[in-house]
Amino acid sequence: MRSILTTLGVSIGVFAVVLAVAVGSGAQVSVMGAINSLGSNMAIVFPVPDDENGGAVAERGRLTMRDAVAIERQVEGVSAIAPQLHANVQIVSGGRNAATEAIGVTPGYAEVTNAVAETGRFISDADVRTAARVIVLGRTVVTKLFGDYDPLGETVRVNKVPFTVVGILEAKGSNLGEDNDDLALVPISAARQRFTSDRPLGPDDLRILFVGIEDGVSLGKTKREMSRLLRDRYRVRDGEGSPFIIRTTEEFMEETAMVTGIFQAVLVAIASISLLVGGIGIMNIMLVSVTERTREIGLRMALGAKRSDIRNQFLVEAAVLCMIGGAIGLLLAIAAAAAFQAQADFPVPIGVGTAIGAILFSAVVGLLFGGWPAVRASRLSPIEALRTE
Amino acid sequence: MTVPLVETLSLVKEYASGGGTVHAIDGVSLSIARGEFVAIMGASGSGKSTFMNMIGCLDIPSSGDVRIDGTATSAMDSDALAELRNRKIGFVFQQFNLLPRTTALDNVAVPLIYAGVGRAERLERARAKLEAMGLGDRLDHSPAKLSGGQQQRVAIARALVTEPLMLLADEPTGALDSQTSEDIMHLFQTLNEAGNTIVLVTHEREIADHASRRIMFRDGKVIEDGPVPSRRLVRP
Repeated sequence: MRSILTTLGVSIGVFAVVLAVAVGSGAQVSVMGAINSLGSNMAIVFPVPDDENGGAVAERGRLTMRDAVAIERQVEGVSAIAPQLHANVQIVSGGRNAATEAIGVTPGYAEVTNAVAETGRFISDADVRTAARVIVLGRTVVTKLFGDYDPLGETVRVNKVPFTVVGILEAKGSNLGEDNDDLALVPISAARQRFTSDRPLGPDDLRILFVGIEDGVSLGKTKREMSRLLRDRYRVRDGEGSPFIIRTTEEFMEETAMVTGIFQAVLVAIASISLLVGGIGIMNIMLVSVTERTREIGLRMALGAKRSDIRNQFLVEAAVLCMIGGAIGLLLAIAAAAAFQAQADFPVPIGVGTAIGAILFSAVVGLLFGGWPAVRASRLSPIEALRTE
Repeated sequence: MTVPLVETLSLVKEYASGGGTVHAIDGVSLSIARGEFVAIMGASGSGKSTFMNMIGCLDIPSSGDVRIDGTATSAMDSDALAELRNRKIGFVFQQFNLLPRTTALDNVAVPLIYAGVGRAERLERARAKLEAMGLGDRLDHSPAKLSGGQQQRVAIARALVTEPLMLLADEPTGALDSQTSEDIMHLFQTLNEAGNTIVLVTHEREIADHASRRIMFRDGKVIEDGPVPSRRLVRP
């Protein structure tokens, strides 16, 4: 009974560590998912914001459609480009309205970001050419405006301008609380005409450019080529900062892995403290056990047990106690992870490796904290141990 | 001349006690041959138990030496002593010292674990010894379900299971009633007739009279050593 209570200390420690590992990898999975939902192999090009590198550079760094086309034509390995304009808009239909982000796009957006029209169609070249007032809605926007009703062919007013709904995007879900379906796509030309932006844009300016890159092509190399091309086009001298920032999904992944890795390490370190406390509990109970069973130890020595036999007996006992505690903690963690996952939209994966690692680690805790009591037991003198009442 | 089974040479055991030194054993030299049934007697504090622990290699002498089967023990380390106890000496205690919540069979098999005997053979040999003690129908009983006499016979089976050279019994009847004591002493006499060397510590003359040789201790010294004058032979 007392032993069971003590193993709970280890249970709680293992519980905390396993959950910390799971939450850490959950964060990683989640962020990776967010990056992947952008499109797996791509680079993002955008001008350096005004407040960085001084105004002069930013003045020149106005990404234009011509730059986008140049990248598509001149850089090797580029599969598609998705030039974009972004605007926060109010979409109204009937009595309902939805605040969302409208993105002016070209057909290339579908290819680069893996966006698919679930019903209806995507923005076409003809739409872009004619600045057609057509709109493709994300699932969240559809739900806000129409509920379950299929809005294909309906007219919605986007910042008071009527647009016809021609398609609905396949849902992408959400990552880390960011809804990937809360958006509306319009032809980039229509966006330029209809939606005013917070900063004056030239007739050809882009807010951001997604560049799709073919599979098997080095993202780093492509990035360098794009950078060189843009520097040439804007006549940036060597040693001067480029007015553009280029980021690849690979870089995002690496940064994410590093940040979530640190996050996970910190969590695990904190959780380990409770495991340490659990281990001290095990040491305590083993010391009590050795004291209570001194006579048994003496008897076993009289019957021929060597010191190592006694030591191993108590070590195994401590390890088994801890492994039972660890198993209980693991089961609790699995249950908690399942409950958490059901409640919050956040994956908490507990891998087989983590599970086995948790059990083995508990055994190691047992051996470490059971070590001193076990050695103490083995050092007893047989006759004194036998005489103990 | 054959080598004595146990030989003590100027055996001394001292304890520090309140500034002075107490000589629990004060220069004892004697030998015990194979096949003897020896009773060691004396009042409490006479050194008889200390002497027994010393020849059982449980306690280490302050000076002098104990030779078991011709081998000096003073130079042995704890592992070698453990192995010696395991192979050559069987212990029987006053309080039986059986493991609680463990069956009679498993209790008897414990010394064989430390002898490195495989599980199947351990249980087979333990079963055989228990059956020889007349406990064949009590194999799966835990000590709590056995009477005192039965517990002591389980303990004797445990002492014999490694086929030791001698049996050391420390007040084996101290916790038993007189009838059960007689039964146990009869068992010892039977075992002795079958060739087992037995050394018995007791403070009761009646119990000691079952042995064939009596050694009296007082103040750490042997004051009398000779055959039991009128030996009690139990004949059922």
